[in-house]
Amino acid sequence: MGMITVTILLPVIGAVLLAVVRSLTVKQVQTVAFGATVAAFVASLVLLSQFDRTNPNLQLTEAANWIPAVNAQIAFAVDGISLALILLTTFLTPLVLLASTSSITDRFRGYAAAFLLLEAAVIAVFAATDILLFAVVFELTIVPMYLIIGIWGGANRRYAAVKFFLYTLAGGLAMLVAIVYLYTKAGSFAYADMLQLDLTLSEQRWLFFAFLAAFAVKIPIWPVHTWLPDAHTEAPTGGSVFLAGVLLKLGAFGVLRYLLPLFADATRLYAPWLVGFAVVGILYGAIVALMQSDVKKLVAYSSVSHMGFVVLGTFALNTTATSASVVQMVNHGLSTGALFLLIGFLYERRHTRQIAAFGGLGAAVPVLAGFWLIVSLSSLALPGLNGFVGEFPILMGTFASYPTAAVLASFGAVLAALYLLWAYQRIFHGPLVSDENRATPDMTRREIGIITPLVALIIAIGIYPSPLFNLVEPSVERVLIETGVGETMTLGGGAR
Amino acid sequence: MNSSDIQIPDVIWSAFAPELLVTAIALALLLVAITRGQTLRVTGPVAALGVGTGIALIVAGSAVAGVVTAVVTASLAGASVLYPRRASIVQAVGAVGAAAGALALTVWQFTSVVTNDVGVFTPQGAFFDSLANDGLALFARFTVYLVVLIVIPLGYGYMRDRELNRAEVEPLVLFAAVGMVALATANDFITVFVALEVFSLALYVLAGSARRDRRSQEASLKYFILGAVASAILLYGMALIYVATGTLALPVIGDILGIAVTNRTVALFGIALITVGVTFKVALVPFHLWVADVYQGAPSNITAFMAAATKVAGFALLLRIYLVAFPAFVDVWAPVLAVLAAASMLYGAYVAVSQHDLVRMMAYSSITHAGYVTIGVVAVTDTGLASVMFYLFTYALTTLLTFGALIAIERSRRGEVTLNTIVGLGRTDPWLAAMLSVGLLSLAGVPLTAGFIGKFMVFRAGIESGWLWLVIIGVLSSVVAAYFYLRIAGMMFLNEPVNDAVRPAYGQVMRVVISLAAVAVIVIGVLPSAILDMADTLAVMLR
Repeated sequence: MGMITVTILLPVIGAVLLAVVRSLTVKQVQTVAFGATVAAFVASLVLLSQFDRTNPNLQLTEAANWIPAVNAQIAFAVDGISLALILLTTFLTPLVLLASTSSITDRFRGYAAAFLLLEAAVIAVFAATDILLFAVVFELTIVPMYLIIGIWGGANRRYAAVKFFLYTLAGGLAMLVAIVYLYTKAGSFAYADMLQLDLTLSEQRWLFFAFLAAFAVKIPIWPVHTWLPDAHTEAPTGGSVFLAGVLLKLGAFGVLRYLLPLFADATRLYAPWLVGFAVVGILYGAIVALMQSDVKKLVAYSSVSHMGFVVLGTFALNTTATSASVVQMVNHGLSTGALFLLIGFLYERRHTRQIAAFGGLGAAVPVLAGFWLIVSLSSLALPGLNGFVGEFPILMGTFASYPTAAVLASFGAVLAALYLLWAYQRIFHGPLVSDENRATPDMTRREIGIITPLVALIIAIGIYPSPLFNLVEPSVERVLIETGVGETMTLGGGAR
Repeated sequence: MNSSDIQIPDVIWSAFAPELLVTAIALALLLVAITRGQTLRVTGPVAALGVGTGIALIVAGSAVAGVVTAVVTASLAGASVLYPRRASIVQAVGAVGAAAGALALTVWQFTSVVTNDVGVFTPQGAFFDSLANDGLALFARFTVYLVVLIVIPLGYGYMRDRELNRAEVEPLVLFAAVGMVALATANDFITVFVALEVFSLALYVLAGSARRDRRSQEASLKYFILGAVASAILLYGMALIYVATGTLALPVIGDILGIAVTNRTVALFGIALITVGVTFKVALVPFHLWVADVYQGAPSNITAFMAAATKVAGFALLLRIYLVAFPAFVDVWAPVLAVLAAASMLYGAYVAVSQHDLVRMMAYSSITHAGYVTIGVVAVTDTGLASVMFYLFTYALTTLLTFGALIAIERSRRGEVTLNTIVGLGRTDPWLAAMLSVGLLSLAGVPLTAGFIGKFMVFRAGIESGWLWLVIIGVLSSVVAAYFYLRIAGMMFLNEPVNDAVRPAYGQVMRVVISLAAVAVIVIGVLPSAILDMADTLAVMLR
């Protein structure tokens, strides 16, 4: 059993323990859940140490027979892209569980078990090299997230949960049909065999759109983003963090792993269209975020805008932009995850998220305000913080291929500064008048402990991003060569 | 067959050993019903006879059949001794024993067939070729008897609660099962018709077994009248095929239709009428009108039996008629069936969304599932055949699981189960809510459940044979269907219980049976290989 399997199994074992041993106290449940996720994080670090950064191909392969009748295997391997996202997942999950211990008082056991299963499924999505296995675990991520939103969410949780489920299921089933079609062509579900297929352009078109249906909903690309603001707003804090941090990346990852290399001709054909949709999403998300009165909704729409940058960079189809969009996936996971955590902390204190209810909080909760400011600045791509090293090369790379799109998208970055700083100003600046605001307690040591690792990474990646770039770049180049756009465009100095 | 036992010329008794056992036990149980509590008066002699026969069989060299006969009859007598004045328990034990024995005999048939011929099976005729003992028959046996084995314990407490623990129920269920299996083995039109009527008549009575419930009476009468009309149409179709070909034997019909073109119009009319009759039984749109009322009105355990087993028998018949007798007309009937399948998938899902009563919703959901299965039929390949068998098997299991949970809820309610009934069930009874959710997720086709693999196999067969549009409709229907399955799960888990919260009633046996079914659904969903391989093996064994 290789390290990938271990990383996937550790959370599963934790979930099974929680399900089977009914006599655990709340404290013990917390320990088991936290222990399992930390163990998974350690396992993923071991994976990183085993990983050969100079090799652009899928490596550390593990395979076992699953359904011999249809030639399906349980096969895992990682490249730089998937490893970066696995690390992001295993890093965020313990923090999410830790942050939930105070806010989730009802049925914490079920909540933790759902998160552990979700983590395992997500890692399996990133690591699967059998496309049927990929489809199965991709769909499987829906169920625990549905429960997390639906059971532990806010007032309008049922609507949000069902909407989330149906949107993502519909996309996933369209992909499943395409996968079966590919299987009938290739005779197996192995990713390597799929790459060898010689598909006609009209076949590629249909398959491209079937796969895109699944990924576009997950990312989400405008105009199929409408489930996201609802899901984000209604989900409990942990759910929002995980959704923004990890689940949205499943779609972007799928685009890079499957959509681009398997349907190269169709990709090159439709890339301009997707760049266009990405720009609309960037501007639309930013403008709608400006108008929100609920700060969580604001961040939810900012996610639409930020994921638009990821799509833009991916379909710019050059090494600079596409590598940067993988980096931006990680960055968005950290920054938006941290923002949702802070919003959660604030909500636990005040039980409201209306920006108008706050004002002048900076004096009452200076630590919270400080963290909030750093994270906001990271999210709006201030140089020196992680957001910049993602967004700037995306715009640079895109400018080489689609100048107009890059210029329009830059306005998205400007708007991001506007809505994030304006929200910061309205919440933390101004006179501290109301008694409720004055009585708001500052962050506890536990909360500081949760947010510090995130902020540390935000700063570290901002100052010294090359380890992350070095990890993903060879794999991105491999993907682009497989897509038939082998050009490698390197920028002199610039972002790196 | 090499291992055949008592050799009477021309009749290979071992070829339908399971049916013989089940029929014998069913007759014995009918006698038990008239003993007024003195059950040992019947079961004693039956056991003596059974053990005697068993010993004779063992001596004659057929150990498995002998042991099964002896054990099943002896356990019947044992139940009489343990529960002297409880005829209902004796009957339930007898029915479960018969089903278990029949399953054992089916497995014995399967293994002896496969081992004797080293994997290459020449499907055999029995009873002067009017029965075909092939892969399809073995599949139907296995599934139908398994359904009986599960459905008897599910219904026992429920029937007692509703005070309809009538003596005729178990024997009728057994007769219906024999009829269904006979239908799946039937190799000429006469046998088809007789088998169809055997199980249909039993089901008409069973549907009305809640005599004081007007809805049950209505269900029975509707099912009877519509079923009789469908049977008549089917019979007319058979007559036309006879006119066209001059024979009733399915393989011969297949040969003649393949070469003769003179009576093409008559044959087409015949096929059309037979299609109406058969699709009525499997409830494809537009011949589905009976389903909702019958499912809702019939006692829920009978509904579970109908939903799980009738589909198996109906599709076995459909496969055999179309693949064996009408392969020459595949260009005609495949598109027709495809259109019916598409209509069923869309209409069933569309109407199910607006249902408030859960059993009614299950009825419309069963229509969509009939549509999915039909994709595998119109594929007309071994893959398609295997996918149909796999789907039907997993569907039967999932349906029993779901209905098992619904029965437990209904028992406490003494009335219909609606969406409001189950609000907050996740709080009041997390175990049952989890079991029901497993069933619903499998019906919705969520990964790691048997339902996902079933849908996957059917879609795969469809795409391989070029039915891409049909598969796309299947996917659309799945999304709609996911909504109403999910709504039930949502009602249970996402809502807080109201004051008069439902407290489901079930005994230990029911708990074990439901748990086992849920475990099976998940295990098949995670590691489907064993069942898939079996379906593949059986598919190439079609006569």
